[in-house]
Amino acid sequence: MKKMRVGAVVAIAGVAVAMTGCSTSGGGSNGSADGDTIVVDMWSGSEDDTAALEAQLDVAKKQNPDLKIELRTAPWGDFFTKLTTNMASGNMACVTGMNSGMLASYTDGFVPLTADDLKTAGLAEDDFAPGATEILKNKGDMYGLPFDVSTMLAYYNEDMLTAAGAELPKVGWSFDDFETIAAKATTGGKYGFGIGMGDFQWQALPIAMSGVQPVSEDGGLQLTDKAFASAAEWYAGLVTDQKVAAPVASASDTGWGENQFTGQNAAIAIDGTWNAVGYLTNDAGFKAGMAPLPTGDNGNLSLILGSGFGIAKSCENKGAALKVLGSLLSKDAQDYIASSGRSYPARAESQPLYFESLDESYREQVEQVFTAAFENVEGQHVSDNWAKVGTFVQPQLVSVYNGQASMKDVLESAQQQFGN
Amino acid sequence: MTTTTATRRRRGSFAKVEARQALGFASPALVGLALFTIVPVVLSVVMSFFDWPTFGDRSFNGGANYLRLFEDPNFLPALRNTMVFTVLYVPVSIALSLALALGLGPRIRGRGILRVLFFIPVVTPMVANVLVWKMLLQPQGLFNGLSQTWFGVELPNFLADRQWAMIMVVVMSVWQGLGYNMLIFSAALEQLPESVVEAARIDGARGLRMIWSVMIPMISPAIFFATIMTMITSLQVFVQPQMLTGGGPGNATMPLVMWIYNQGFKFQDLGLAAAGAWILFALIIIITALQFGAQKKWVHYEH
Repeated sequence: MKKMRVGAVVAIAGVAVAMTGCSTSGGGSNGSADGDTIVVDMWSGSEDDTAALEAQLDVAKKQNPDLKIELRTAPWGDFFTKLTTNMASGNMACVTGMNSGMLASYTDGFVPLTADDLKTAGLAEDDFAPGATEILKNKGDMYGLPFDVSTMLAYYNEDMLTAAGAELPKVGWSFDDFETIAAKATTGGKYGFGIGMGDFQWQALPIAMSGVQPVSEDGGLQLTDKAFASAAEWYAGLVTDQKVAAPVASASDTGWGENQFTGQNAAIAIDGTWNAVGYLTNDAGFKAGMAPLPTGDNGNLSLILGSGFGIAKSCENKGAALKVLGSLLSKDAQDYIASSGRSYPARAESQPLYFESLDESYREQVEQVFTAAFENVEGQHVSDNWAKVGTFVQPQLVSVYNGQASMKDVLESAQQQFGN
Repeated sequence: MTTTTATRRRRGSFAKVEARQALGFASPALVGLALFTIVPVVLSVVMSFFDWPTFGDRSFNGGANYLRLFEDPNFLPALRNTMVFTVLYVPVSIALSLALALGLGPRIRGRGILRVLFFIPVVTPMVANVLVWKMLLQPQGLFNGLSQTWFGVELPNFLADRQWAMIMVVVMSVWQGLGYNMLIFSAALEQLPESVVEAARIDGARGLRMIWSVMIPMISPAIFFATIMTMITSLQVFVQPQMLTGGGPGNATMPLVMWIYNQGFKFQDLGLAAAGAWILFALIIIITALQFGAQKKWVHYEH
């Protein structure tokens, strides 16, 4: 009897707590102890990263002496989990970091920025490099402004290509050049190309070849678009028909092509500008070079990606938050990012400083390739269920590359499942 | 008459006071139980009946999540994969570890060291285990390399082949979990009553006959325990396929737990994930109940 009563009390307490859990949606504080403090929430993987963020925050503090600004950080992986929880509990920081690839899942938490908002922040769209303001746009609404920009490049192992007697990729090279070089470099158990598994990595060449993104501007999935699908089939054929790339070993090898490249099993790989310095100064010690994506009949369209800051919907002091956002993207803060060589800044006038920070031995090449690569870029279009599409397609790619499924069937089946 | 009612009343009030005190002493444990077990369990039941995105508005949708499970193109394949894994893994794991425990009998010298060797994979972090197996299995790995140099035969791309991927997940899991069951069986075998074994020997029982008719029935409670535990963990399998094959190729090795994980944490649909988790729970309970039912026929409690 007593046991039962205790059990009942516990059960009721449990349900009560559970119900309290249900009822906390939205509302709450804006993630600051008092109304005057503006919290900036950003990912940071190391003490170096945090120190760099503090330096940018100092710029904001100097420009807004009347505001209290506070930094909150979490490592990349945890950042988005925490953001999810903070959004659910109405605890999102006024100024929150966001990345172009992640935005689609988090638009609910951010307030769309208007022309007036930009004015309050002391920013203008023209301040940014062409295409940069599209980075944190979703279906036409701008949810934030970027502090850095990146795009996809072709990286090559100069030692391997020279040894195989192949030409080196250069600015303006074509898809025919790509095929010739990859075929020549496929020799002695090594391959010319490292086939991609990550969304950005595998889609870069099909997008460049077809000039079409797999999602339309208004967010409609178009994986079966004729031009894109046939370019994707050509891409899979690099493994199955032309045999210039090794088939992927497992669906858990999400960085397959890039690892094949750094492991010197493949001479060329596609990856983002964010890894440029890493590849040029690789641990393995081979001489690496880079080039923009090859050009075909439809140009060499590439996605412009990047990270930036947005304003939380739940922010109570939007005006002040906008001012902090403006300072974080001001010339001073952007000059700091550029001259420290941390990433390629989004503000056009700060970009030259980035190249100056690089080692002389590769400075010229980076500048030349970056300039060419950013000439033909477009913000990434994303559908509502883009994460599901990626999760479905990636393990299927393994079957495609191993000849157990066709790219056409995979794209059609994804379109059928996830196209609205 | 009056005194007895008074005592009873006094005793009653004592009992009440005692009960309150007892509750006071037990409350830290109860709070823990409520916070970390009961609340999550109740919450997950509630969740499974809600359209529950990680953020945004939640709404009650009756049993719609349970219907949506069967419309999801990956749910039934995931359920099938979990069943296939369990059907392949449990018998092989139990049979091999039993054979190993019997093999490492008292007559083997250095069996302590051998037992430690077989137990090492159990305590090594799974990530390290998987890395080693990947290096063995991939086309540029050891197995294919050896096969090509020795026999000139190219092996299939094990982890990327639809048929082979699941087999390799099972093989790796068996290797990884072998030591644990072996230890349970070894302990049971050491406890065999000498008198029974000796009596059997005098009656002429030797070799297989001895193992099959005497030893196995005697350690059947240990086998029963190991089977139940192995089966439950294999229905909950996640790490091995996640790390070894990423659930692929396609969804060929995606188990139910990975499907639940994807719904909850990748697609932020906690309601659907909770519904899936309850299906898994029901499955485990039913199979465990069936095993408990069947045990009367083959498990002997002698002592």
